[in-house]
Amino acid sequence: MSASAVFILDVKGKVRLGAGSGERTESLDPSSDQTFSAHPQPLISRNYKGDVAMSEIEHFMPLLMQREEEGALAPLMSHGRVHFLWIKYSNLYCIRGHGRIPGGPEWWAAQAQRWWAGTRGAQYSSGSGWRVRVQGLCSIGTLQNGTFSLTSLPAVVATTLKNANASLVYSFLYKTVEVFSEYFKELEEESIRDNFVIVYELLDELMDFGFPQTTDSKILQEYITQQGNKLETGKSRVPPTVTNAVSWRSEGIKYKKNEVFIDVIESVNLLVNANGSVLLSEIVGTIKLKVFLSGMPELRLGLNDRVLFELTGRSRITLLTRLRVSGSKNKSVELEDVKFHQCVRLSRFDNDRTISFIPPDGDFELMSYRLSTQVKPLIWIESVIEKFSHSRVEIMVKAKGQFKKQSVANSVEISVPVPSDADSPRFKTSVGSAKYMPEKNVVIWSIKSFPGGKEYLMRAHFGLPSVEKEEVEGRPPIGVKFEIPYFTVSGIQVRYMKIIEKSGYQALPWVRYITQSGGSPTWHLQRELSSTPLYLLCPGWPHLSRM
Amino acid sequence: MPYLGSEDVVKELKKALCNPHIQADRLRYRNVIQRVIRHMTQGSDMSGVFMEMVKASATIDIVQKKLVYLYMCTYAPLKPDLALLAINTLCKDCSDPNPMDKASYVRRVAVLGCAKMHTLHGDSEVDGALVNELYSLLRDQDPIVVVNCLRSLEEILKQEGGVVINKPIAHHLLNRMSTLDQWGQAEVLNFLLRYQPRSEEELFDILNLLDGFLKSSSPESRELCFAALCHVRQVLHSLPGHFSSHYKKFFCSYSEPHYIRLQKVEVLCELVNDENVQQVLEELRGYCTDVSADFAQAAIFAIGGIARTYTDQCVQILTELLGLRQEHITTVVVQTFRDLVWLCPQCTEAVCQALPGCEESIQDSEGKQALIWLLGVHGERIPNAPYVLEDFVENVKSETFPAVKMELLTALLRLFLSRPAECQDTLGRLLYYCIEEEKDMAVRDRGLFYYRLLLAGIDEVKRILCCPKSDPSLRLLEDQAERPVNSWASDFNTLVPVYGKALWATISKCQGVERRGPELPNTAPFATSGPLIPEENKERVQELPDSRALMLVPNHQLTAACFEKTWVSLKVAHQQVFPWQGAVHPDTLQMALQVVNIQTIAMNRAGAQPWKAYLSAQDDTGCLFLTELLLEPENLQMQISVKQNKARTETLNSFISVLETVIGTIGDIKS
Repeated sequence: MSASAVFILDVKGKVRLGAGSGERTESLDPSSDQTFSAHPQPLISRNYKGDVAMSEIEHFMPLLMQREEEGALAPLMSHGRVHFLWIKYSNLYCIRGHGRIPGGPEWWAAQAQRWWAGTRGAQYSSGSGWRVRVQGLCSIGTLQNGTFSLTSLPAVVATTLKNANASLVYSFLYKTVEVFSEYFKELEEESIRDNFVIVYELLDELMDFGFPQTTDSKILQEYITQQGNKLETGKSRVPPTVTNAVSWRSEGIKYKKNEVFIDVIESVNLLVNANGSVLLSEIVGTIKLKVFLSGMPELRLGLNDRVLFELTGRSRITLLTRLRVSGSKNKSVELEDVKFHQCVRLSRFDNDRTISFIPPDGDFELMSYRLSTQVKPLIWIESVIEKFSHSRVEIMVKAKGQFKKQSVANSVEISVPVPSDADSPRFKTSVGSAKYMPEKNVVIWSIKSFPGGKEYLMRAHFGLPSVEKEEVEGRPPIGVKFEIPYFTVSGIQVRYMKIIEKSGYQALPWVRYITQSGGSPTWHLQRELSSTPLYLLCPGWPHLSRM
Repeated sequence: MPYLGSEDVVKELKKALCNPHIQADRLRYRNVIQRVIRHMTQGSDMSGVFMEMVKASATIDIVQKKLVYLYMCTYAPLKPDLALLAINTLCKDCSDPNPMDKASYVRRVAVLGCAKMHTLHGDSEVDGALVNELYSLLRDQDPIVVVNCLRSLEEILKQEGGVVINKPIAHHLLNRMSTLDQWGQAEVLNFLLRYQPRSEEELFDILNLLDGFLKSSSPESRELCFAALCHVRQVLHSLPGHFSSHYKKFFCSYSEPHYIRLQKVEVLCELVNDENVQQVLEELRGYCTDVSADFAQAAIFAIGGIARTYTDQCVQILTELLGLRQEHITTVVVQTFRDLVWLCPQCTEAVCQALPGCEESIQDSEGKQALIWLLGVHGERIPNAPYVLEDFVENVKSETFPAVKMELLTALLRLFLSRPAECQDTLGRLLYYCIEEEKDMAVRDRGLFYYRLLLAGIDEVKRILCCPKSDPSLRLLEDQAERPVNSWASDFNTLVPVYGKALWATISKCQGVERRGPELPNTAPFATSGPLIPEENKERVQELPDSRALMLVPNHQLTAACFEKTWVSLKVAHQQVFPWQGAVHPDTLQMALQVVNIQTIAMNRAGAQPWKAYLSAQDDTGCLFLTELLLEPENLQMQISVKQNKARTETLNSFISVLETVIGTIGDIKS
C-alpha cells in the first residue's frame, strides 16, 4: 500500500479583484477584471513516510485544472516521481444569489465559465433568489449581499513514490472520509477547520508509516473523543477493543432490555431504454442488524429453508458464492456476490452453511448479496414529453405498479426532468401531488401509497421563454423512488435468530422486510436521444420525445 | 505559502506560551498550542516557538502532547540543535510507568518503529537480532502486529530481496487470514505470492483456504470502478473478447464521470463479437449524440475501430451521423472515414457517397485535413470533389492552419491527375497564391516544389504522387500487441494498468531521469564510501520489474546529424539477414515501422539499387537502437545491422524480433 502522505485539499481558490490590488472579497464590481487563482491550501496534511516533500502538493491543483481542460481527468495523476491518487465525491456546485448582488445570473454564469476553466453546462435560473449551477471540477461558493464566499467539498489526496496498489489506496481514502463523516456528519471545509485537532489525531491512528492501522470508526470513537483524553498514570489509556481478539466488540456492554432488530432490505437498480426494454436489472440485498445486547453474545441466523446455500461447484476458482433461493413454484433465484461482515465465521459457513457470529454493538451490515436475474420493473413508467419551442412544454407521465395486489409501495417519488428555463408550472394528477423544484430542474410527483396493480397519471404544463438559451442541455433520466414493506423480490426470509450469552438472558429478535428503489435513478430516458438522433437537431430539448 | 505578518503572530504566540497565567490554565494553554498548529497547517513558519512548544510537552493532557509531538516532527529538521534538547523530555515520556508497556498497541507501533529507524539510518547494516525478533513476532496474537512485522521486515530487508516466506510462515499466515482486517488481508496475500507450494496438493489446499476471501466488502466507488476498468482493458489485451458475454455491464450511465465512460467505451470496442455487435453499436450510437462533445467524439472513434471488423454496419451508422450536421460530430466522422478507407478499401464506395455536403459543417483543422485528403485521394469517385476543393481554394486567404493548406496542395494536385480539366484552373490559382502570397515558409516551399514537379512533366508527377490508396496490412501489425497474461501478472493491481502501459513507460522514464539528475552532485562527496553507485543501479533495476520486456518510446526523435554521429561511434552489435521478395515500398515500410515506434531517419526512394534505410528507436531505459537496412538487388535478402549505445543482450534480442515481424509482414505482402 504505502502512501507517503495524505492531504485534505480545499480545491477552491480566491477571487481576486483587479490586477495587483491584493485580495478583496467584499465588494464585487462586475466591471472590474476578476481573475481566479487556484492556489490550493491543504486544509490539513499528514506526512507518513517523509520521502515526498510536502510542497509537492502544490503541483496537484494546476495538474488537475490542466487535465480537466484537456478532458483527460482521472483519479490518478503524476508529477515527476510523485503519484497522486485522489477522490472527491461531488462535482456539482452552485452559485446562489440573494438580494442585491451585482451582475445577475447571466453575468455570473459567464464568469463562472471564465474562471473555472473546463466547467461545463453552466446554467442559471431566475426567480426570487437566483442560482447558477456549474458542473465542473473546481468549486463554487455562495455570493451573499455582494460578498462572494466559496465553499466546497474537499478532495482527499494521497501521494506515493511507489508503484502502489491503486484500489487499496482508494479504499483507504474512502475509509478516511467515512471515519471523518462519522465524527463530523459532513466532511467539508468548515468541519475540518473546526475540528483540526481531532483530524490530526485520527490521521495519526488511521495510518502509520504509510500503512493502514486502526480504521474502524467504532473503535476509534472509544478513544479519540471530542473532549480529548486525559492522561492518568497507572491506568491504561487504550480501550481493550483496540487490542481485543474480537476487535469489533468491546467487553462489558450492558442493556436493560436485550433486543436485536433485523432489516432485510432489497434495492432495485434498473436501466430502461427509450423503447421500454430493460437493459439492466439487478437487486442488491442487505441484511442490516441493530444490536442492543449485553455481554459477548453468540448469534446464529437461520434463513428460510428454501434458501439453499450452494457453492457452485467447489472448483478451484469460485468467483461467486451463490445462494439459491427457491420460490414457491420451484423457481429458484440465484444470489450472487454474497458478502459477509468481518464478524461472521466463514469457516462455519463453509462447513455447515450456518451464519454464526459475535455482533458489533449497534448498527451494522451483516451480509449483502446481488441478484442479476431479470426482474420486472416494480413501477413501470411511460412518458410523453412534447415541447413547443418558445411557448410551452407538455408532460404526461403514467406510472403502473407491477407488484402483487396485496403489497403497497410507500413514499413513491417520481422525478421528471424539465428544461432549466421553464416557468409557470401547472399540474394535474390522478393521485398524489406534484411540485416543481426549479433548483433541480425537475417535477417531483409524490404518491404516499401506491397499491400493486394500480395505474396513475400526471400531467404537467410549463411555459418557455420566447428567447431560448443557447447551450445544449443533457437529458437526465426519470427517477423513481419507492419503498415496499413486507416484501422481498428474492423471497429471502429470516427463519430464526438464536441468541446465546453466558449470563443466559432472554433476548427478542425483530424482523422487517423492505424493498426500495436503488441508489441510481430507475428510468434512464437519456437513451431517447440514441434511438432517434433527430432530436439533436433542436439544441437542448427534444421537440417531441416518446417512450 | 507565506503568511502575511507571520512574524508578529510568532511573537504574539511566543509571549502567550511563556505567560505563566496561561500555562496555569490548562484550556487556555491548549488553545494557544492549537493556534500554533493551525498556523503550521496553513503553511506559515512556526519554528520560532520551538523551545516553548517543547516545554509544553510536559503535560498530562494527552491531546496537547500529541499536538506538540506533531509540531516537533515538523520542525525538528529545521532546528536540529533545539531538537536535541527535546530528547530529554521524550526520554522521560518513554520511561513513563505505564502498565500498557506490553500491550499490543505498543507492539504495533514498536514494530513499525524498527522500519522507521532503519530508513532514517539509510543503508546501515541490518541488525540480525532485530530481524530475528521481528520474525518471531509474526506469531504475535495481535493481527495488526503480525502484518506490521511483515511490512517492517520488508522495509529492512529491501536490499536482501525482502521478507522470506517459507512453508511454516506461509501456513501460519494462511491460518491467520480470517482474523485480519481488509488491509492486513490484502498485504498478506501479496506476500504469499512469494511462496512456491511444494506439491499440487498443497497448492489446492491453499487455494481452498483462500476461496472465502474472494468476497470483499469494500464499498464501491467510482475510483475503484475506474481502476477495475483499467484492469479489464489490460486483460483484454491478452485475452481478446474475454468479457464478451458481460458486455451490458460496460454500458455507460448518465451519472458516471467522464473518465469512467471513456474507459467503458474502449472496453466495449474490444468486446464486440458476432452476437453482440448489434446491441453494442446501438448503444454506442446513442453516445455519439451526447451533450459532452468529448464523449461523443470518443464514441464515434470507437465505432470507427469496430468498423475495421464490421465495416458495413458501422459505415451506415457513421453516415447517418453526418445527417445531423453537427460540427463536432461531422469532423470526427470524416477523420474516422479517412482512417477507415486506408485500412478497409472495400468501404471506399460507401464513404465517397456519404461525403458530399460535409464541407459545410467542418470548421477545425483536423476535420478539414481529413476531408481534403479523402477528396484528393478518392476524388475520381466523388462527382463534386473539384468544386469542394475549389471552395477551399477560394477561402485559402482566410485559412489559419498551414497544415490545411499543405493538404489542399497535395489533394488538388492528386485530383488534377485524374480530373485535369476540372482542376487545372483552381490548381493554378492555388499555386499562385502559395508561391506569391503565402507567409508560411513550409507551405510556400511545398507550393514551389509541386510547381517544379509539374515542370518536370506529368509522368514524373504521377510517379511521385500516385502511392497506394490503402494498406490493409497495417492491421496485422497492430494486432500483434497481444501478450500472455503471465507476462504482466506482476503488474496486476499496481499503478501500471491504471496509467496504461505506454503512459507508465513514459512516467517511469522521466522518473529515472529526474532521479539521476539532482542526485549526481550529492553522490560526489560520498564516492569514497563505495556502495553508493551499485545502490543506485539497484534502484533503477527495481523500477523496471520486467527488464526483459522491450518498451520502445513513442515520439522518439533523433536528428539525422545526431544519428550519423552516434552511428559512426558505435560498433555493430548484431547483424542478420531476413528473406525479402520484390520491390520495397518505402512509405508502407516507414508507416509500419512507425506503428512499432521505430523512427525512419533516412531511406532511399523505391527502386534504388542498392536500397538502404536508416532507422532509430529508443526504449524506456534510454537505450538507443540504430539500424541499417540494406537490400542488394541480386540476392533476395534484407540485411540488417543494429547498433546499440548500451550493451543489453535481452532488449537487443527483443528489438530484433520486433524488426523481424515488421519486415516479415511487409515483405510477405509485397511478394
